[in-house]
Amino acid sequence: MPAMRATHEWGTLVYVEAPVDPMAPPADSAASQAEWPSYDPAPFFDELVGPSGGPRPSAEELWTHFAELGPIALAERQLAADREIRAIGVTFTVYDEGVGVDRPWPFDIIPRIIPRDQWQVIEAGLVQRLSALNLFIDDCYHDQRAVSEGVVPADLVAGSPNFRRECVGVDPPGGIWAHICGSDLIRDDKGFWYVLEDNLRVPSGVSYLLENRMVTKHIFPEMFRHYSIEPVDPYVGRLASTLASVSPSTGDPIIVVLTPGIHNSAYFEHAFLAQQLGVELVEGGDLVVLDDDCVYARTIDGLEQVDVIYRRVDDLFLDPEAFRADSLLGVPGLMRAWKSGRVALVNAPGAGIADDKKVYSYVPEIIRFYLDEEPILWTVPTYRCSDPESRAHVLANLPELVVKPANESGGYGVLVGSQATPAELAAAAKAVEDEPNRWVAQPIIQLSTAPTLCDDAIAPRHVDLRPFTLMGPDGAYVTRGGLTRVARRQGSLVVNSSQGGGSKDTWVVDAANDNPFEEQS
Amino acid sequence: MSGPGPGQGQGPGHGTPPDQVERGEPEETDQGLDERSGTMLLARMAEAVYWAGRHLERAEGTARIVQVHTDAHVDLPVGEDVGWEPLLSIAGVDSEFAARYQAAEDPDDVRAAEEDVVEFLLHGEDNNSSILGSLTAARENLRTARPVIPREAWEACNNLWLGSNDHLTEAHTREGRVRWLRRVIAGCQCIHGILLGTMSRDEAMSFLVLGQSIERADLTTRVLDVRSDSLHHPGADDPYDVVHWMAVLRSLAAYQPFRRAMPARPQGGSTLRFLLQDDRFPRAVGACLTEARAQLKALPHSEGAQEACQDASMVVASASVARLTVSGLAEFLEDVQLALVDIHERVDETYFRPSFVGWEPAAAT
Repeated sequence: MPAMRATHEWGTLVYVEAPVDPMAPPADSAASQAEWPSYDPAPFFDELVGPSGGPRPSAEELWTHFAELGPIALAERQLAADREIRAIGVTFTVYDEGVGVDRPWPFDIIPRIIPRDQWQVIEAGLVQRLSALNLFIDDCYHDQRAVSEGVVPADLVAGSPNFRRECVGVDPPGGIWAHICGSDLIRDDKGFWYVLEDNLRVPSGVSYLLENRMVTKHIFPEMFRHYSIEPVDPYVGRLASTLASVSPSTGDPIIVVLTPGIHNSAYFEHAFLAQQLGVELVEGGDLVVLDDDCVYARTIDGLEQVDVIYRRVDDLFLDPEAFRADSLLGVPGLMRAWKSGRVALVNAPGAGIADDKKVYSYVPEIIRFYLDEEPILWTVPTYRCSDPESRAHVLANLPELVVKPANESGGYGVLVGSQATPAELAAAAKAVEDEPNRWVAQPIIQLSTAPTLCDDAIAPRHVDLRPFTLMGPDGAYVTRGGLTRVARRQGSLVVNSSQGGGSKDTWVVDAANDNPFEEQS
Repeated sequence: MSGPGPGQGQGPGHGTPPDQVERGEPEETDQGLDERSGTMLLARMAEAVYWAGRHLERAEGTARIVQVHTDAHVDLPVGEDVGWEPLLSIAGVDSEFAARYQAAEDPDDVRAAEEDVVEFLLHGEDNNSSILGSLTAARENLRTARPVIPREAWEACNNLWLGSNDHLTEAHTREGRVRWLRRVIAGCQCIHGILLGTMSRDEAMSFLVLGQSIERADLTTRVLDVRSDSLHHPGADDPYDVVHWMAVLRSLAAYQPFRRAMPARPQGGSTLRFLLQDDRFPRAVGACLTEARAQLKALPHSEGAQEACQDASMVVASASVARLTVSGLAEFLEDVQLALVDIHERVDETYFRPSFVGWEPAAAT
């Protein structure tokens, strides 16, 4: 397959020209058929290809269509997708030696397919999980019944860097603290699903999920005839009604998105969401809290009261009066306004208490305790290094484990034991011994793969999945599918876009279920 | 602790059976944002769209001027041409140019070389108001203002910026330059077209058109200013006088409208009258001021800026064009430019720079 690079054509405004010339001779069919049989994901579970080497039932149409298109047409469509992404300005910012550079969003055109029956189980599991976590957060800032009844150790709550003393006793509407959750899901070598992380602070990625679908519709419009694919757009309407539902005022709420600013790595998403919601995108300097504890925006017509803030600024930067005094991103007095109930913050400050890899290890117990239900989704077994017995096990088995800092996100500081050098292993062992509290370890899950267009062929690459769950007093909603992230280097398990990962459109389709859930549960 | 304890925990989805998870679109009856009454426009967004309007106009205007100058240059016999310096004066970057280029060059060669001037105007490193610099600034401002402008307009601007960067090297020959400039002009027109065709006539639009109108008026005065030099010592029968005035009209896309509106040959008096006082040609100073005032009327607290606008209109309308062709054109144009600066300053202090002090919350919404 020829390597192609996206250059910018004048005059291609939004939609690229049809990437395939209908008058061109058909692609070499011998070559096209040679591509697919050479695809071998073993020993991993592959999302589209079954153990026999043929497509899974849900992927048959796609398989056939791609084989007909052949490698050259596929490469052309990838090029068209790259060009469109560049033209519409879908970017993320990476920091290289302190300098932010906008990169075009990396997108692989081969979609990932999930049968609908399977998705419904996941959806129920995500709602169950977020319901329990919200009850847990509310408990943390009230009676701490989970501690007094011995479900979690006291230190897990009070000793967490994500515990916000300022939030104690606060009652956000409906008892909901985490309204928007971007969970990370993975599948192991048998195809079993696990929740890997609950991101409850300011999870990113939903804009890319929506844009990926838009691009796919332009690049493979014909595929939407073969498949009944669940739409992803309803998310925006759901987000709007979730935000409106927590407004403290009775009239039409004024909602804003609060961004750290144009230099933030997720600024594209902040602007995208504000645009989609039809609301203003504010920075800290645009807002002010007056003596009446109300939040106002500086508009061309004077100060306008704000009811709901979808904040994309971390807790500690929200309010220099309450948290970091040196924060220029926040709004002095914002916590005061929130605590007095004059403004809603989404997600609520302090929600991160449940977004911590140590709390993660207790989620099954948390679900049983608050909901009196068995967890629908699996949690990866997690060793807490603060526990001497677990620590000994971790230190003795480092090469078979993933070691993670308990309170970080974004894939930073993660050590994959099997891929580490002896020096890296020694450093990790020392770090665990020095500060056992900071670390947890998990068995290495062999992430599933999906066919991905690489330089010269379609090759298996590891993937994860980030669906988004919304929860308000009126109910819950889960995106249909999610953002599939791809590790672009062969064998790599790191899918974070900040670490060079790519992405795929994800289709929840009405197709025969080939899922392993029955076996799993 | 006052709130409902976890014992009574009535969290959402508390024990929600999976089959009750909501699916699909919100129902039509859903109260959401559909009925939002108060639109609000952040002061910071207003500033961003205002500057986007100005920078887009500047990019397009500069492209037109360079293009027409290249055309006119070709028409004139070698020796009769006016050189390339006038372009620098129009763009108001003479001194920046001198600092960058002429220090290093032969002091006897007083005429700026075509390549240097054109490079400087298209993408000169120290020239923030180069075409590329203006497009970059317009794009940055639209990026900030994405939530209040149509998605397609942002995409068109981004696309224009990417294309003009990717194809910049082609602009280094005269032939490639013409193509590059035409594309820049067409790209700017495309953005305006999208805005006109898809953007609500809301406050954000008012700020954008306001910025555009002020910049347009300013550019027209600059083009005239450069001609004012040669106007006052015309060779009794300068055979190229008409060529020069045609170039002035063309660089403001005014040639054809002028022909239709004015029976006269394009000479000093008729051209000046048209470009200063016409109320129907969108790049005439008078028409720009009328447009600016109409936009201001739609904005709150605009009394001061409207007044400044009216003052500027008076200056332009009361000018005696016949007298200006004899003397005082440069001074007059400077007065107009100062009046434009005044409008800008009133807008700036009314909307973009107010502190919270003394600002009262708007009436309860």
